[in-house]
Amino acid sequence: MQGLRVSGTLLCHAGAHRIAFPAVDVAVIDAPSLHAGRSRSARQAFGEPAGASRVLLAPSGETVGVDTLEIDAEVYRVLPTPPALVRVAGGCLLGFISVRGELWPLVRLVEFEHFLAGASREAA
Amino acid sequence: MGVTEAEGRQSYLVFACGSSWYAVPAESAAEVVTFPELTRVPGAPSFLLGVFAHRGEVIPVVDMALLVGTGSQSTKRAVLVRLPKGSLALTASTVAGVSLVSGSLEPLGTSGVHMHLRGPAKGAQRDVAVIDPDGLFDHLSQGA
Repeated sequence: MQGLRVSGTLLCHAGAHRIAFPAVDVAVIDAPSLHAGRSRSARQAFGEPAGASRVLLAPSGETVGVDTLEIDAEVYRVLPTPPALVRVAGGCLLGFISVRGELWPLVRLVEFEHFLAGASREAA
Repeated sequence: MGVTEAEGRQSYLVFACGSSWYAVPAESAAEVVTFPELTRVPGAPSFLLGVFAHRGEVIPVVDMALLVGTGSQSTKRAVLVRLPKGSLALTASTVAGVSLVSGSLEPLGTSGVHMHLRGPAKGAQRDVAVIDPDGLFDHLSQGA
């Protein structure tokens, strides 16, 4: 991140929904079978059943599953999170980037995993 | 809003979402927009339908019917509310126009979003719930 720009992102889908992560947040991209029962699914943040075809592993060990991913080396301007949304998803939203005419929510991986973990605990 | 009676001088934009009518102070209602396909926000409550980019700004769209609990209302139109603290788009299935409002401005409830809806009041010849935009914004900002 450089001010209001991000250089290097993982453009992902969780179900039909777009979600992006700064590439610096991701240490490893793994198969879900290597983290069976331990990784969170990004789909759950959209109210959908868990599932993933790839797992993003943070340097600190948190894991989040997504359905598709594309590594994008472009530099994007980060549109600020609307003030009404700063507390959504535990405050993990960094903002939004516009890629190929579509908005992608840009999310910090570790905080997003913590949000998913908390939501799972509340649901249990 | 610190008054409990509409004074009949302030103008409001009157609009419907589903079967309910609302009035928002005209000074806060920047425009009526037709929004494109929305981007869902992870972790957002169901009444927050998503966001769209408008003149370089990301605008959250709130389904008033879902927020108030009267069911979902499919529409692509919204009233864009601009406040010093930020912007919101409130879904609108019908827009009646700008009108004076008369009646009471007592909160319609003691908790949740109904604390920020006031009435009973009449505007544009309809029963309306008057939106306190600052209160509604703060309510939504706290995670609703």
